[in-house]
Amino acid sequence: MIIELLMFAMLFVTFAMITAKRINAVINGFMWQSLLLFAAMLRLAVASGNTELYILAALVLAVKAVFIPYYLRKITAEMNVSQNMGLILNPFLSLLSGIALTYLCYRFAGYVFSAQAPADKLMLTISVSVIAFGLFLMVFRMKALSQIIGLLVMENGTFLLASWTSGGMPFIVELAVFFDLFVLVIIVGTFIYRINKLFTHIDVSKLTDLKG
Amino acid sequence: MKTVHILLQVLFAAAFAPLVSGVIRKIKNSVRMRTGAPVLQPYYNLFKLLGKEEVRSVHSSWILAAAPYVVFASTVAAVFFTPILCGGPVFGEAGDFLVIIFLFSLGRFFQALAGLDAAGAFGGMGSSREMFLSALVEPAVLVAALTVSLNAGTTDAAAISGGVLRSSACLGAAAMLLAAMAETSRIPVDNQETHLELTMVHEAMVLEYSGRALALIELAAHIKQLVFFSIIASLMLPCGAGAGLYGAGGYLAKLLVISLIIALTEISLAKMRLFRAVDFLGFALVLALAGAVMSAAGF
Repeated sequence: MIIELLMFAMLFVTFAMITAKRINAVINGFMWQSLLLFAAMLRLAVASGNTELYILAALVLAVKAVFIPYYLRKITAEMNVSQNMGLILNPFLSLLSGIALTYLCYRFAGYVFSAQAPADKLMLTISVSVIAFGLFLMVFRMKALSQIIGLLVMENGTFLLASWTSGGMPFIVELAVFFDLFVLVIIVGTFIYRINKLFTHIDVSKLTDLKG
Repeated sequence: MKTVHILLQVLFAAAFAPLVSGVIRKIKNSVRMRTGAPVLQPYYNLFKLLGKEEVRSVHSSWILAAAPYVVFASTVAAVFFTPILCGGPVFGEAGDFLVIIFLFSLGRFFQALAGLDAAGAFGGMGSSREMFLSALVEPAVLVAALTVSLNAGTTDAAAISGGVLRSSACLGAAAMLLAAMAETSRIPVDNQETHLELTMVHEAMVLEYSGRALALIELAAHIKQLVFFSIIASLMLPCGAGAGLYGAGGYLAKLLVISLIIALTEISLAKMRLFRAVDFLGFALVLALAGAVMSAAGF
């Protein structure tokens, strides 16, 4: 029951991220999603009693729910760009595509799990749709920041999928993934900051022309 | 015996409803570090209005005079079908969950007519906005109702409120909460705290009213809010059959939590542009749809 509610809350937050028009709203959505991921990890850790899972949960909280949102907010404030995400699809169409994506993921989960395992099926549906929503954010938003956020959302989905279906990857792999993510956010953040300096905007749809 | 119970429940709802509004205002003022009006202020307002003379435009027709009574009567009729103190008795024989939504539409129809009737510039604008919003709210409410109806296997309010809580109902409850914010003219969609602003919706329609008629309309708005909260507290999130006193306590606790959520949303958000409300209520509809699908999938 608890894990079902957490999954539904995750779906709620991810839908909200898809409708959001402002950069800060999407960053907040990512923070809430990470907090829910933390709660799900904690639930898993309590259920299995594995110390490594507690450490992973703490890492999720520290890196994804505190550090990354803080850093993203900081660079958006420093870049002083407009809050508009630059939507290619309007919020309502985005929501409808979100529904379609979730339904596809549900059908996909139906092929993997039989009807006897409804909890696994729900988990698979929601984590795969979180991955799909991350991709959606990367493709259908114009500002370069949404590319990082989309990638982070996809990573959240993969993390959820990995930790629930297989009880977690090997500990050292998880640590490496966290380190990777940490470095990636800093590098891409700096990169976007540079793009903004050079082009005075971070609109990826206008980056196709050469600038001498 | 059951009839007496239902009548007592309706009287309780009518007497209790303004208090909920008062509590929400009090929470908002406390968070803003203001003293604010006392919790009982909505009652004082109602009594003050009842003692005042009613003024009606000479150019208005009978619709303006009749609308407050229709609005009030339809709202009170809706209370007859809503289980108030979790599992409280309802007129199950006369109608089900969907009748509540129908009765609200009846009230809204007359209110919109009354807004047009006096031919004020604000009234017509308010009516047109109200109908625009209601076209968006109703699908969300109906699909959210479908979620719990699927869970319980019936649309009968008493049976739903006596059912077990399933996790898909929580998605429906979230959708219903967003719809309730729009229906009770709360901040992301409308603003209760202001008159004479170009963005208002509900207040624009009732601008022509004064005295006793205004008191009736305000009381109806308080009751409508309580009914919506009760739909969330005892239908969307049922607390099980025969809960008795324990259920009543749970109901009051849920009401407090809902008031807290509404109050905190109101002070932390700005009012949306009218056409952004489409996205807000579309989100509610999508949540309700997700809830209905999950309910059909057995969660």
